[in-house]
Amino acid sequence: MALPNQQTVNYPSFKLVIVGDGGTGKTTFVKRHLTGEFEKKYEPTIGVEVHPLDFFTNCGKIRFYCWDTAGQEKFGGLRDGYYIHGQCAIIMFDVTARLTYKNVPTWHRDLCRVCENIPIVLCGNKVDVKNRQVKAKQVTFHRKKNLQYYEISAKSNYNFEKPFLYLARKLAGDPALHFVESPALAPPEVQIDMAAQQQHEAELAAAASQPLPDDDDDAFE
Amino acid sequence: MALTEPEHENREEEEAPAADDEDTGAQVAPIVRLEEVEVTTGEENEEPILDLKSKLYRFDKDGNQWKERGAGTVKLLKHKESGKVRLVMRQSKTLKICANHLVLPTMSVQEHAGNDKSCVWHATDFADGELKDELFCIRFASVENCRTFMEMFQEVAESQQKKEESKDASATAGLLEKLSVDDKKGKAEEEVPVVTKEDKDAKSDAVKADEEKKDAKSDAVKADEEKKDEEPGSST
Repeated sequence: MALPNQQTVNYPSFKLVIVGDGGTGKTTFVKRHLTGEFEKKYEPTIGVEVHPLDFFTNCGKIRFYCWDTAGQEKFGGLRDGYYIHGQCAIIMFDVTARLTYKNVPTWHRDLCRVCENIPIVLCGNKVDVKNRQVKAKQVTFHRKKNLQYYEISAKSNYNFEKPFLYLARKLAGDPALHFVESPALAPPEVQIDMAAQQQHEAELAAAASQPLPDDDDDAFE
Repeated sequence: MALTEPEHENREEEEAPAADDEDTGAQVAPIVRLEEVEVTTGEENEEPILDLKSKLYRFDKDGNQWKERGAGTVKLLKHKESGKVRLVMRQSKTLKICANHLVLPTMSVQEHAGNDKSCVWHATDFADGELKDELFCIRFASVENCRTFMEMFQEVAESQQKKEESKDASATAGLLEKLSVDDKKGKAEEEVPVVTKEDKDAKSDAVKADEEKKDAKSDAVKADEEKKDEEPGSST
């Protein structure tokens, strides 16, 4: 389900709809998977942003077209118009903001009106934060509605691969599907001229004095 | 190949190591049928001479800031025939490539101001399948690991320098006779010393086990992940 201006691919691809209240971390989660970066700054999504996201599995390469939709009502755009032909979904809430969990049933209802019987993952994001407002035990909606639930943190990468792995397994009907190392192709030889090298060195010297974004935290993953 | 196929829905629950992975999802009909395929890492003809857990950053020139690229395992891989060494880093869990570039004599790794667990360098990177100029910063769990990485990187870059020089010399000589020069011989002769890290043996065992029984691949990967999780620096 690529957009008209997007390249189609010769391997399986799926339209993934991501919904949930504004500020719960939908865009940050997608960006984390796309580039590795963790965006702290909040810029509300207007309408929808569609990003292709590839994974390598023991059953070959697969692609999710992630439809990262606006959470804020005033920027909603076509709203459930974006859900059409959705093949799987993620509903995101923020465990540090109770209201975002309270709104999950509404997102779920709207989604299910358009997309019947698709695999859905409920994600409680920001579990790295100390002061949670929604404890794991208080999350019960997924049991009532038969959704899969994961506690995740886009910041620490806790469980960050699980929603995609779960959806891929369901879409393929293969509970043993797993991610594998993507082939590391041999990098081609490059010739660097002296002028370019000097420029790189100057840039590197400047960059070396800039601090890392998460210098304070020593925990990996 | 199709070993997993006749299994039923409850398999996932049986395998689930933690309650966290309990499947509460509805039964939905699969929409694609995927066959198991042969998996290649692209690293089959290379030997890891360094393998460390780390976090990688790339410099965003427009924003004048470092941005995270991935957290996982960085490796220096030496090609068994050409002797060329490249740096490959993969994101843990998704196993995607965050960095993939040759270590060249023109490169030098430098300290990162104010942080002795991290260092910086420039590379023309091929992680996304196209060449891109990147400034990288890598952060390790300990000062020692950072030092090990920097020393190894520098040593490799310098040893490639020697090869380049001997190549140049033979090239000049060779040019007198014919214009095409085979540089492979000179490169393979020189050896880059191998750093033996504690986990290197365990690693190659995992690789061996992997080769022996391809079907148990997922187990090997899991074991590998468990091993990594036990390493210092991963605890929260």
